[in-house]
Amino acid sequence: MKVQELAKRIGLKPATTVYDRDVTGVFISDMVSDVIANAKGGDLLVTAQAHANVIAAANLIDTSAVVITQDKPLAGDVVKMAEKAEIAVFTTPLNRWQMATKLYEAGIR
Amino acid sequence: MTAESASRRYEMVNVRQGYLMIEQEEHTLARRSYFVAEQTPPWEEYREGKIQFWRPREAAQTFQFDVKDTATGEVVPFGEMAGLLYYACCAKDSVVYQLGELAHEQRISLYVAITTEDEDGPAPMPASKIRLLNALFNERLRSPGKKVLIVPDIFGLHKVITYGQIAIDFGLTSMD
Repeated sequence: MKVQELAKRIGLKPATTVYDRDVTGVFISDMVSDVIANAKGGDLLVTAQAHANVIAAANLIDTSAVVITQDKPLAGDVVKMAEKAEIAVFTTPLNRWQMATKLYEAGIR
Repeated sequence: MTAESASRRYEMVNVRQGYLMIEQEEHTLARRSYFVAEQTPPWEEYREGKIQFWRPREAAQTFQFDVKDTATGEVVPFGEMAGLLYYACCAKDSVVYQLGELAHEQRISLYVAITTEDEDGPAPMPASKIRLLNALFNERLRSPGKKVLIVPDIFGLHKVITYGQIAIDFGLTSMD
């Protein structure tokens, strides 16, 4: 499934330009080191962390997009960094567990 | 093992969860950092010799790993690795940022391998290990044409960056 279709289906709010990549899996973590060690290219990264190092890790792993949970605000430099790296960032009022449920229901395994 | 991971030559092995500790000597203000594979960071002051008194300053949750070449079975340890610094996390007037921008125009993302340091400076990372890191992370990329370039800290960034700029988990307990 493509990022744009998934975002529409589960009601994600774009915080950046949407770069329409294939979503091939999901990785949920609030630890940058965990993302670098265990996430895979194409994963949708779901996290409560909204700082620049999340984008640095997402770019290194080549995640399909990033979802920031609980409507955490993104600093302007984080948005610019994500757009430069062509990584779409979305926000959602849901927490990580609720987001995981929605993703499963949308067919992402 | 997945079909995707089976197609890769290099893999992260011996992943060790722990902390990057930064400590400072009280009189000389010398700084050093090291990795400990423990469940809690060791916040302990201690004397070394007759006059040195080391105090912990910062701790970040992170991990270390080794890299295995599945073609040869060789495992290369990366015990000196403190973390990777993305060029875009540096000051815009810095050399690394300007080089990173040039690389970015060619769809190359520039990262600097920051190593742990003792009183005399950072542990050097040989070119052979830098090549291995590049192979490991570039194999994992999926976006067509995208590349990652990891370089050693030839910029002396260990002197000017805060450890919070490295892609590790400083301030994890602060959820602001």
